[in-house]
Amino acid sequence: MNLMNLMDYHHFPIYSIMVLFLGAFVVAACGTKPSKNLKNPAGARAWIALLATALSLFFLICLVKPVMLGGEIIAYWMGNRAIAGGYAIGIALEVDALSLFFGLLIATAVFVSCLYSIRYMVHDDCVPQYYTLYCMLAGGVLGLVLSGDIFNMFVMVEILTFAAVALTAFRTKVYGALEAAFKYLVVGCMGSTAILAGVIMLYAQYHTLNLAQLATLIPGSMNNATKLAFAFLYIGFSTKAFIVPFHPLAADAHGAAPASISVLISGVLTKSGIYGIIRITYFLFQTMGLGTMQFMLVFIGSVSMFVCVTMALAQHDFKRLLAYHSISQIGYVLAAVGLASGLGFSAGLYHAMNHTLFKGLLFLAAGAVLHETGTTDLGKLGGLSKKMPHTTVLFLVGAFSISGVPPFNGFASKWMIYQATYQRAVETGNIGFLAVTIVALITSVLTLASFVKVTQSVFFGQLPAEYENVKEVPFGMRLAMGILAALCIFTGLFPRLVTTYLTEPAANAILNVGSYIRSMGFKSELILQRADFSQAGVWEPVSWLLILCIALLAVTIVAVASKYDSVSENREKNVAAKYQLFYGGEENVFSQVGGGDLFWGFKHNWRHYFGFMHELHSGVVNDYALWAVVALALAISFMMIVL
Amino acid sequence: MITFNYICSFFLIVLGFYTIVTKYNLVKTVIGMSIMDYGVNLLIISVGYNPGGTAPIFTAGELTKASYFVDPIPQALTLTSIVIGACVTAMSMSLVIRMKESYGTLDTREIRRLRG
Repeated sequence: MNLMNLMDYHHFPIYSIMVLFLGAFVVAACGTKPSKNLKNPAGARAWIALLATALSLFFLICLVKPVMLGGEIIAYWMGNRAIAGGYAIGIALEVDALSLFFGLLIATAVFVSCLYSIRYMVHDDCVPQYYTLYCMLAGGVLGLVLSGDIFNMFVMVEILTFAAVALTAFRTKVYGALEAAFKYLVVGCMGSTAILAGVIMLYAQYHTLNLAQLATLIPGSMNNATKLAFAFLYIGFSTKAFIVPFHPLAADAHGAAPASISVLISGVLTKSGIYGIIRITYFLFQTMGLGTMQFMLVFIGSVSMFVCVTMALAQHDFKRLLAYHSISQIGYVLAAVGLASGLGFSAGLYHAMNHTLFKGLLFLAAGAVLHETGTTDLGKLGGLSKKMPHTTVLFLVGAFSISGVPPFNGFASKWMIYQATYQRAVETGNIGFLAVTIVALITSVLTLASFVKVTQSVFFGQLPAEYENVKEVPFGMRLAMGILAALCIFTGLFPRLVTTYLTEPAANAILNVGSYIRSMGFKSELILQRADFSQAGVWEPVSWLLILCIALLAVTIVAVASKYDSVSENREKNVAAKYQLFYGGEENVFSQVGGGDLFWGFKHNWRHYFGFMHELHSGVVNDYALWAVVALALAISFMMIVL
Repeated sequence: MITFNYICSFFLIVLGFYTIVTKYNLVKTVIGMSIMDYGVNLLIISVGYNPGGTAPIFTAGELTKASYFVDPIPQALTLTSIVIGACVTAMSMSLVIRMKESYGTLDTREIRRLRG
């Protein structure tokens, strides 16, 4: 065996996973003694972790050419134990365009976040252990998306859950860190157990754990046991994606974890859940043409979208707010993927990618604020744009992207999602899909409103006296944010490039289960099909920006022409309403409406809803566990009835 | 006979769920997670069982067409699952200890700083 064989790109998937676990091992072998360098207490460990993540990203980028452009599916048998007697004996890695798409997202987010954490983690204790867990988490997620074996997927799910829980809890002094980690562990464990139970029920029926072989066997021979297995697997991966009803866990975990880990939890862990759902619904069970399954995914996606965005509006903590928005955006992804059309897949995956980029950027910006001021309470912050101009600009890029303002990337993908849902509504004549379009639009508006609030209360307005000495964050952190911001702008300006080279190959991979099965060496009758993407992306970002500018100008002219003076005209009314509501009628004390309270009128009108939701998200772990059990029960009954 | 195993394993899983949902003591929650885990382990090992089969330990020469043994793969899976279960228990107990130190209670209804 010569050395050139080792550099064959068929080995690259396993290399990209291996370097991360190897990195974790080497970091752990460095011991736990902090380095004397005050600017980098982790010393060489940080650079080892950075090297590992960079190498992993490099290996995956090398695969873009054969897999994305060439359409090859890499089937890799560990230890060269291929099929024997018609059964898959060995453990396999299988990398199709879908796996690689998610792999690239994950590797990018992991690399950028690692770059950021070198300077960000300076003030933390336990920094040496941090990088071990960091590499484990990254390796677990990457292993999950590249695996071709369902039991391996379960093992990777456990690794990533464990690493995420530990990384949430390790700063024990942070307010609520232990509690958040424990809740996540309990419900996450119920999810993992559900996945394991589902896996083993499939094994009992089909005596194989290989994804491709399961995909050949399951669709023709569905019985009650497989339906039960499907329900268990679906709920298991839902807990990993944090979609409704598991969203409170995400909010708790994000709030307590360091910002660099929030990036991974929101940008990477949720993606692994979405990936799992796509794999089981469209590959294993092939529910592509099933209207009821589409209904379930689209419905849950829409509910996640709307519920989480309203939860976000009621938040006063920067990172909790971002966490709810994160799940709201995952709702978009799930709804688009649930449409089961080529355009829907392409749109959903595009949005998944954008979500990783802009959400990562926003969390890193929140981390920068926390790093400099020591708080994420929206009520206490303000006016930081004078002190941290670069962070402000970078944050604004992320905020524009998530709100879907052209020409940033959120606009392109949301536009495609509207198109996909509308197209589906026209095709099927089902008014329900049109409702999804409307919910998506409303959610987008509410997202924008929420980010207006955040921007106002953190970066503009009055600078509190205690933050007079705040400085801009170190260059390393700004560089990490800059990379993500540049990617946000790039993918927004050139949506054609993204769809042609990344999302459309991945969407075609979902549609062509047959080639996934055949490349593993099993027989499949499924024919090759290509989705029609001709409708995709009928948009012009620049002209939409112009329309936006014209509209803004028109509003301004009208406002100026009518001498509209909001403060003097509405002060009496506003003050009265605000104080009746919040302070029991002490009208003689005057106060401006604070930035964090920008939408008090809206909140007042919706107070019953917000009150109800606040009661519901009680913070008691038993309640969240009950939601999980109820969700499982509902999923089982649904599958038994419709599948 | 094996049907009884299946019934028991699902009973254990549901009992675990019940414990997690209804008990307000953190230690009991951890016990509930363990019970749930044992239920799944029992399920896995039952799936691989062939009545009357021997242990799946053969060298190449001993193996004949007539060899009749239980499925070894679920046993390997169970081992993995047991290890993971032990890790879950260890991790959650260490969290419980730290929570008892910082909150001074084990009641889940009082450990709810993060909500809404």
